[in-house]
Amino acid sequence: MAENPSGSSVSGLGWVRRWVATPELRVRFGIRAILMFAVVLFVWYVSTAPRFFSLTNATNVGARTAPGIIVAVAQTMVIISAGIDLSVGAILAFSGSLASVAYCYWGVPVLPAVLLGLAAGALLGCINGLIITKGRIPDFIATLGMMGTARGVALILTGGLPVPSHLTAVTLKAYLPREIIWMGSGDLLGFPAGALIGLLVVAAGWVILMHTGFGRALFAVGGNREAARVSGINVDRTKIMVYTLSGLLSGLAGLVLVGRMNSANALMADPVNLESISAVVIGGTNLFGGEGGVIGTLFGALIMGILSNVLNLHNVQDFAQKVFMGLLIIGVVLFDQLRRRYGA
Amino acid sequence: MSSSLILQAEAIDKSYPGVHALDHVDFDLYEGEVHTLLGENGAGKSTFMKIISGSLRKDSGRIFLRGQEVEIVSPMHARELGIGMVYQELSVIPGLSVVENIFLGRLPKRKPFGTVDWSEAISQAKRILDDLGVDIDPRERVGNLSVGEQQLTEIAKTLSMNAQILLLDEPSSALSDEERERLFNIMRGLQEKGVAFIYVSHRLDEVPQIGQRVTVLRDGAKIGTLPVDQVDEAALIRMMVGRELGEKFPKEEIERGKELLRVEGLTVKGVLNDLSLSLHEGEIVGIFGVLGAGRTDFARALFGIDPIDGGEVFLDGRKVEISSPSKAIELGLGYLTEDRKDGLVLRLPIPVNITLASLKRICQFGFLKHGEERASTEKYVKELDIHTPKLDQRVEFLSGGNQQKVALAKWLCCKAKILIFDEPTRGIDVGAKVEVFRLMNDLAKEGVGIIMISSEMPEVLAMADRILVMARGSFVAEYAADQASQEDIMRDAVAR
Repeated sequence: MAENPSGSSVSGLGWVRRWVATPELRVRFGIRAILMFAVVLFVWYVSTAPRFFSLTNATNVGARTAPGIIVAVAQTMVIISAGIDLSVGAILAFSGSLASVAYCYWGVPVLPAVLLGLAAGALLGCINGLIITKGRIPDFIATLGMMGTARGVALILTGGLPVPSHLTAVTLKAYLPREIIWMGSGDLLGFPAGALIGLLVVAAGWVILMHTGFGRALFAVGGNREAARVSGINVDRTKIMVYTLSGLLSGLAGLVLVGRMNSANALMADPVNLESISAVVIGGTNLFGGEGGVIGTLFGALIMGILSNVLNLHNVQDFAQKVFMGLLIIGVVLFDQLRRRYGA
Repeated sequence: MSSSLILQAEAIDKSYPGVHALDHVDFDLYEGEVHTLLGENGAGKSTFMKIISGSLRKDSGRIFLRGQEVEIVSPMHARELGIGMVYQELSVIPGLSVVENIFLGRLPKRKPFGTVDWSEAISQAKRILDDLGVDIDPRERVGNLSVGEQQLTEIAKTLSMNAQILLLDEPSSALSDEERERLFNIMRGLQEKGVAFIYVSHRLDEVPQIGQRVTVLRDGAKIGTLPVDQVDEAALIRMMVGRELGEKFPKEEIERGKELLRVEGLTVKGVLNDLSLSLHEGEIVGIFGVLGAGRTDFARALFGIDPIDGGEVFLDGRKVEISSPSKAIELGLGYLTEDRKDGLVLRLPIPVNITLASLKRICQFGFLKHGEERASTEKYVKELDIHTPKLDQRVEFLSGGNQQKVALAKWLCCKAKILIFDEPTRGIDVGAKVEVFRLMNDLAKEGVGIIMISSEMPEVLAMADRILVMARGSFVAEYAADQASQEDIMRDAVAR
């Protein structure tokens, strides 16, 4: 806001009057006031939560949000290219289940099993990209189909049972390896490994978006597909690559989640699709593509993770938590709209 | 003419920033008359039609309907006054049936629940269509109809609102000869019932076929109104283009170098027929044509955006296949699109747009070289004199002229040797236009070959070394710049 050079006013409330002099300024003032209020409320609520500032809790929040953050980074890149990936949750479950089944039932060594899970995720993502570009099917529909398919294949693979389990026809060769468990539950010098992987993925996502030609192509394709094409960018290849990357990261998130739960199952991470989109939107990425970034998404995911954690600490019932999360998304985006409209 | 005056417009004036779109235009229309409105692109025909049909407000002037002064405030109001407009781009909804389109928003209702009275609607639609003498099933989905039939649907819709004055904006541009003949017959039938038409066209051959009087507009001013039987084509062409050529275009003489590009027999079925052209270093070849002649289709086909069905392209004498824009760019082509927005990512900042077509060059192992990007941006912002408060400004916040310069900088940055300029001056002010022309000269001097596509005849005449006239997907004539006259070019461009 412009400085007032005179700065003097008769009453002490002159600054208020200046701020609310016109209807537009009043609206702007109102928006800011509500935003400040929301922030203060959030901080107060967080700081009064019992045991929020304990090390255990911080570790807990970090480990819990890690798989979501990894998936949300993937989703950010897809959405920047004006796409959407509804199959992240299903691919996550499929990859996690496949790696676990390979190790526990098929006797595959740990490294090949992990690579198998990641490769399977990347492959499914690649298939998404191929269906979208070569089959000319809208992103939403292609990934919606993949969501069901991958989840179904994962159910067939696991027989609907948790992995590892003694109830299957195949004999159990091993429990989950400590390497996978470390990814979700271990730590490196006291720092939770899952959170570390999550932060590394965020950093990688930032480098890709800000410092590579591929990242630039994502923004261009999402911002104006036709202009990107006329400028010689291979739109199809860019989209196939971003969906492949999304599948790969979903697979990685699957391994981290399996490690945290010490068990895989075909139905895990069901809400991660919409949670990842929520984090992207709260983080300020344009849902129609062309603008945004992973740092915003990280904060979006953390705000949701912290709010969920704090509600838990305050013993808010799970059902009511869903209401808060829903309102959070609408509130944040509504605010963003108002802010843009009135330039506050 | 024995019938009475139905519409009279007096000194209609309309300005946009930088353009005097209509300059005190007088116009009148009699009951049962077809009054043709002729003019080049940008002559003011559409502006005039929009004012009469209420979708645009005039700055000054008066409009009288049957002697009563009226102030037309909206398309709805125009409709209430009995003025109906049939747009150039059809405004029917393809997914709905004919009857739904005709009565859009006003379907007859049945009491007590307000459900649609379909039998009543269909019989009313049938009556209107029968009056028009057309055989269209009111239940047919409009998307299944031919373009001509869709247009008739729209005319039926307008008539169903009791229109006494029908405005038709280039209705024949999408019609076959047969469909056009049918439209004319229907118009004649309606004329007998007293309906009056304002008929916009730029096809001179239509003038004697339909209509009683013709008015020619040029650069927003009325040149004259004449009875159709007293004018011939030559006179009309003189009226349409007879302006003085100003000195605003700084064309410089440049020595022509070796052949850069040769196109032989380029064909896209139903769109482009057997197009051939050659382009030399330092040469500017102009392509002139009216709307729908296929100018942009040619550029898109040459640049690998749309697939071609036949023809060969040679670069430096070597045969090449341009299968995609990225291939075209690799071969040294650049394409400044007709609509700036198709060539720019408006939401992204200037440097990103400038380097968009050179991504491979500014990347090393896939990583962007930000320093180089910045240097390129600084260079072109300075060279092209792009006015911006900061280097990182988003392109959407720049003026039209500066956006056009960013789009141009993109092609300079990737060192294009052959540049296609598609309507390079559309929507930019006079000052920026002169700058764009200056840049074209500079590029030509450096040996770049330029294909300049334009519907602005004075610009083509002033800038091009050679001019190809395009009509209905073919090059119909070629002129050396000093041998071409506006009359000749216009005659070729509008000839049937």
